Amino acid sequence: MSHLDDLLSAYVDGELTPGEEQRVRAHLDTCPECRRELQFIGEGRSLVRGLPPVDPPFGFYERLLRPQRRWARAAVGALAAGAAASVALMAGAAPHEPRVRPNVAQLVDAHTASASTSGDPLSGITPAAVPVSFRR
Amino acid sequence: MAGEGAPTWEDVARSHGRFLYTVAYRLTGNREDAEDLVQEVLLRVRRGLETYQPGSMEGWLSRIATNAFLDDVRRRKRRPEDRLPDEPDWVLPPTRGADEVLAGEVLPDDVQAALARLPDDFRAAVVLCDVVGLSYQEIGESLDVPVGTVRSRIHRGRAMLRKMLTAT
Repeated sequence: MSHLDDLLSAYVDGELTPGEEQRVRAHLDTCPECRRELQFIGEGRSLVRGLPPVDPPFGFYERLLRPQRRWARAAVGALAAGAAASVALMAGAAPHEPRVRPNVAQLVDAHTASASTSGDPLSGITPAAVPVSFRR
Repeated sequence: MAGEGAPTWEDVARSHGRFLYTVAYRLTGNREDAEDLVQEVLLRVRRGLETYQPGSMEGWLSRIATNAFLDDVRRRKRRPEDRLPDEPDWVLPPTRGADEVLAGEVLPDDVQAALARLPDDFRAAVVLCDVVGLSYQEIGESLDVPVGTVRSRIHRGRAMLRKMLTAT
């Protein structure tokens, strides 16, 4: 009989027929190499079997099982984001107080061209003292 | 309509949530993928509860989890950009002193890391056998392979894992 190979795992797992098991035992009695491999395989098996259970993250299943709440939160978030975007848009599009920017230079030029001190009847009048007050 | 005694998927999550998460984590090797896998299993459970036959709920869940996991692995392998490294160091010859490492000296994280480096088909068989506790016959049915293939994958998976832990 050649070496046992994968019969060894089946042997430690109790997965052999009675006849196979008898043959494996007989071989192990005479084969130190297979006995070493049996120990080696048994250790690999024990290592995996000794692994502890793993806890899911806190609240993991609750989140999975309440998708409607998650969707509701997502919807609220989307609504909030939409509202914020609307406010920003409205702010950008809101009517501003119109700015007045008269072209002063052009007005000055036009007035200068038409103005004449020589023909101005008021030029000869002595300035009178006029009480002036500035009120806001 | 689900058969008599068939649980709802909420029952499944509440009664077997930790077990399912453990199997998913041992198969995938990290929490993010484990969470995705659990979610996929629960979706399949919800679709498949009608066909549930009273028996081992954990065996049934493990079968769904393993198939969902292997489906995902195959899908990734069809897309080269997502391909995972699949040539671990286990192809190296065994080192001297393999008998010197005792199970008690190996940390669970090391075992998990070695498990994660097994070829996917081997890992699936080892997890179903040594984490879930299914028989070879049940594993063969779960993976749709003959019992002889199950036996070989479990044996080679254990040998590779043990060898990796010797080398570290």
